[in-house]
This record gives sequence, structure tokens and C-alpha cells, in this order.
Amino acid sequence: MMGRRAHILLWLALPATVFLAVFFILPLIFVVGDSLSDGGAAFGRVAADPIFWSGLRGSMAIGISAPLFSLVIGYFVSLHMARKSERFRAAMMFVISLPLTFSGLVIAYGFILTFGRAGFVTTLLAKLGADPAVIGGFIFSPLGLGFAYSYYLIPRVVMILLPPLINFDHSQILAAKSMGASGFRAHFDILLPQLVPGFISAFCLTSAVAFGAYGTALALVGTQVNILPLVLYSKIAETGNDLPAASAISVVLMSICILVITVAETVTARKGSRSAKGGKSVQSAMVAG
Amino acid sequence: MTIRFDNVTYRYATGKGGLSDISLEVGKGELLVVIGPSGSGKSTLLKLLAGFMEPQAGRILIAGQDIRGVSAQHRDLGIVFQSYALFPHMTVLENIAYPLKLRRVGRDERIERARNALREVGLANAGDRLPGTLSGGQQQRVALARALVYKPKALLLDEPLSALDAGLRTDMRDLITHIQRAANIATIHVTHDQEEALSMADRIAMIHEGRLLQLAPPRELYDAPVDTTVAAFVGKANLWPGRVVSPTLVATAFGNIECVASAWQIGAAVTLLIRPEAVMPITDDDGQGKGPRQEDKQPGRPINRFNGTLTQDRFLGAVRRYDLVVGDGVITGETGYRGIISGVTISPDDVRVLPA
Repeated sequence: MMGRRAHILLWLALPATVFLAVFFILPLIFVVGDSLSDGGAAFGRVAADPIFWSGLRGSMAIGISAPLFSLVIGYFVSLHMARKSERFRAAMMFVISLPLTFSGLVIAYGFILTFGRAGFVTTLLAKLGADPAVIGGFIFSPLGLGFAYSYYLIPRVVMILLPPLINFDHSQILAAKSMGASGFRAHFDILLPQLVPGFISAFCLTSAVAFGAYGTALALVGTQVNILPLVLYSKIAETGNDLPAASAISVVLMSICILVITVAETVTARKGSRSAKGGKSVQSAMVAG
Repeated sequence: MTIRFDNVTYRYATGKGGLSDISLEVGKGELLVVIGPSGSGKSTLLKLLAGFMEPQAGRILIAGQDIRGVSAQHRDLGIVFQSYALFPHMTVLENIAYPLKLRRVGRDERIERARNALREVGLANAGDRLPGTLSGGQQQRVALARALVYKPKALLLDEPLSALDAGLRTDMRDLITHIQRAANIATIHVTHDQEEALSMADRIAMIHEGRLLQLAPPRELYDAPVDTTVAAFVGKANLWPGRVVSPTLVATAFGNIECVASAWQIGAAVTLLIRPEAVMPITDDDGQGKGPRQEDKQPGRPINRFNGTLTQDRFLGAVRRYDLVVGDGVITGETGYRGIISGVTISPDDVRVLPA
């Protein structure tokens, strides 16, 4: 017989369950249903479409390069912040988290105003002799897109790496140095291995975000750069007549993101005693981008 | 190898803490314990020696060589940290073999030496375990093995027992001294635990507010402290302010106390130190109990005698520690006697006269 406590917990879980069902499960069923509506032929059409494959390649390139770039910058930012006082860290976290509150479109326009052809930085560099066409064109290239993505990927990296870095017992580094390790060797042998789960989590999370990001890409490069979210967009907005194929691309995109997040969650769960404590779950660090 | 501090000074930017003009030497195979209250500068001393900080004045010499400018990496010292600082992602054996790996010792040899070191600390079967699965005492042993496996010039212990249970701490004291003696290595052990210091040290350096107050063997530090700060920090103490009235008499709030004050000028302000175990109870049961009767033991000699009321009586197992209120003052004594106590005697020989 179900206890009173279990009953209360069930009722408390109901709103979240309804929300999840209406806004995730139901749309997912419709999308999967749509993709299979012509007997799975939509997947065949997508697989035969070279634009899909070039979009997948583009997404993979951005989904790997932008997170890697963000990881490097985010690691050094976290390292610096971990050494500062709690008060300073709180202030810095506020500033660093700000990009997460902006929509992808706002960020894209911000980058255009700063690094675009008539952007502030481009104009400044042009005065110093740089070619404004080259500088201004960068932001509209795949590399430039990755650069813009890192604006809201770096905060996510910091949110994941900072807790284990704060909790890291610095006397381990001193111990390694006293045993004869150089500063670099001590960091490489002692600190970095303990942060590997955090690196993997941060990479997977930011990779999933970069894979699925749409607003920034659309506003910055339109459909000039081939990435999956924009291929998907073109199926609905431009031709608008192949909804099953759009659904099939959507299923592929979602599967990749879920797979990447699953890897991250598995690694986070396995952290256990072999790593520094205090890392946060990927989900808890996830903010819509 | 010997360690020497010559007039070493270090001041923190905040102005608080640090060391002032410290000079001391630790001989080969000697275990020097540095004690002092929190913030006294004892950890600073260790950091300066380890190379984590550089002194602003003075020199530190290891085996006669000035080590100014030599990084921690090249000082070749074994350090056991308060938190043990074991590497959680490495097994116990990998932890111990790590300093050997840094010295490019071949794999087979470093595994063998690490196993031997583990055996010496009584953890022969723990090699494949991760540090996180060990108890505090076991982690402590691993840290000790790791600090000694590469035969460093000196061993530094930074409050290594402070995180352990009281019972385990006593066992670990014996293990550390045993291993330190076997390695015959100059060792500096920092602690705030005076019992730990007294039981382990060859000599004790008492530091207070960055200054070295006394450097002496444990018994000398306890029996003949140089001032009231050392007397109060090391062991329990009755400290009574007074004034010398004759070479054998000091006036205090408890009345005139018989003692040896011939080294002091008449009228000098002094503090009298009486250790609690030197306070002898007078028994009310007139010989029925088994308490010591000091008057009978030293017939004809002057004795300081006080009658009062027992206000605190703490049973500590082997002894009881009691407070006897005499007038406006309190005398703390320790005895194995379990009968009624209504007064105490103090032999003049047990009264030590210190500067005020």
C-alpha cells in the first residue's frame, strides 16, 4: 500500500511531469511521428541530400572547435578565479553569467556591432592599417561563428570547472614541487588529471549547445554557412514543403545532443574518489542559449 | 645533514604574523619540534625552509649551504602536510613512487622502493588502493612513506597529527619517531600540541609572536621555562605574581612563599611557577587515606602550607586535577590521591621564580 509520504511526493511531482509531457514528450512524439510519416523515406531523402552531410560536417566542426576554444579560455579564467577571494568570485560570476541571460539574436547583433564590417573594433583596427574587409568578414565565417558561440560557452565552462578548482587542495601542488616537480609538471601530473571529468563534462555540454544553437547563427551568417540547425530552418522556411525531412533532421540533431549530454552525465557520475570534489552536474550548469 | 636558521626574518604584507630574527640549528638525525600558539609563526618557519617563501633577512642553510634563491623543487626536502596532500587520482603505490619517477628512477626500482617504504609504515597490502579509501591514520603513513622514499636531506612535518583521533595520535607519534630515528634524518616538526612536542622531541623551539622564546630539551623547557609565556604554554601551571622580600621569600596574594629567590634583587617583581603535580594535598582523614604527607617526608624544613575550599575536582583517570580556593586565589593541583582534600603544601624546591 502506498504511504502518505509517497502520495504527497507524487502530487508534488505532477506539475513538472505535466510540463515535461506537454513541452517535451508530446512534441518529441509528433516530431518522431512526422519523420516516419512517409514510412521512413524522409530519412532516406535526408541521407541522400549532400546539403545535410555538409551541414552535419559544419555542425561537427563548430561543435568541436568552439567548445575546445571555450575550454582553454574557460580553464584559465577558472584557474584565476579560484585563487581569488569569495567576494571577488561572486562579483566575477555575476559578470561572467551575464551572456547567458541574452538571447542568441542579441549576441549576434552585439558581435555585428563590435566586429562587423562597420563595427567598433573593425573601424579601430582599420585606422591602424588592417583591412576592414578581412576583419569585418571574419565574424560572418564559420570560424567567426565559433568565436561568437564561445561568448556564451565560456561561462558554462567556468560554471563547471570552478567548483572543483576551488575545492582542490593546493598543498598537493606544493607537495609535488617539494618532491622535485616543476610548476608545469606539478599542474600537468597532479591538477589536470583530477579535472579531466570536469573537462569532459564542460566539453560535452558546450558541444551540445554549439550543435543546437540557431539564433546566433541565423542572425550572423544567414544560410551562408552550412550547419544542421540552418539546414533544418531552410527545409521549413524556404522550401517549406518537406516537413518529414525537417523532422528527420530534427531527430538526428536531437539524438546527437542527447548522446553528447549522456556521455557528460556518465563521466560526471563516475567522478567519485578519483577526482577533485565539487563538480556540478551538466544539467545544473545548463542554461538555454 | 644539518639545518640552520641565521637571524631569519619574514614579515607578511598585512603586518600580522611572520618571524623576527630567528636563529636555530637542527643536527643530523635530530627531531626538533617547533611549538607555539596559532599565528605565532611556526608554519612560516616551515614554509621558508621548504622554499614556498623567501626570508626578507637572514640565511637558511642546509648542510652548510645557503639555499636563498633555490626553488622548492631543488631543495630536496621531504614534507608531510597537515592535509597529507596525497594525490587522489593515483594509487598509494603510485603516490609513493611519484618522487622517484621525477628523479627518473627506473620503473622496477621505483616500484620496489615504494613497496619497501610502504612495508616500513605497516601498509604492505595497501599499494593498489586509492588514498580516498584509507583511514586518516593510514593516509598519514602513506604521506610519511612518500616524504622519505627518495631519501631527502631533511624531513618537515607540518602538524601531521592534528586531524587524527586522540588514541591514534599517540600511536602515530611513536611510529613517526621510530621511522625518523631509523632514517637518521634532521627533522622539523611543527605542532601546537605541547604533549606531542614533549613526548617526541629531542629539543623544542617555542615560538611566540614570531620570536624564538626558548630552545631546549623537553624536560628543561617544562622544568625551567625562561618566562611566563613558555611556562603557561607548556603544561599546566600555577603562575603567581609577587615581589622578592628576601633571598628565600616572595610576597604574593597567597602570603609569603618560601622559595629560592637568591638570584633576584630584593623588591624585584617576579612570577612564581608551581606545576600542579608539585602541589601536595593535605589529607583530612589524618593518615587513614593513602595521600602523600609531605610534612612527614621532609621534617624540619620550611614548607608552604595552604588551607582552602575545593571548588573543582576533575577525575582524569590516573590523576585528579583540582582547584583549591585560598583567599582570593586558586591553586591548581594534580594527585593520584582519591580522599578528601582541604589543604595543600608546596615545597620551596618546587617553586620556580620567573621574570614578572
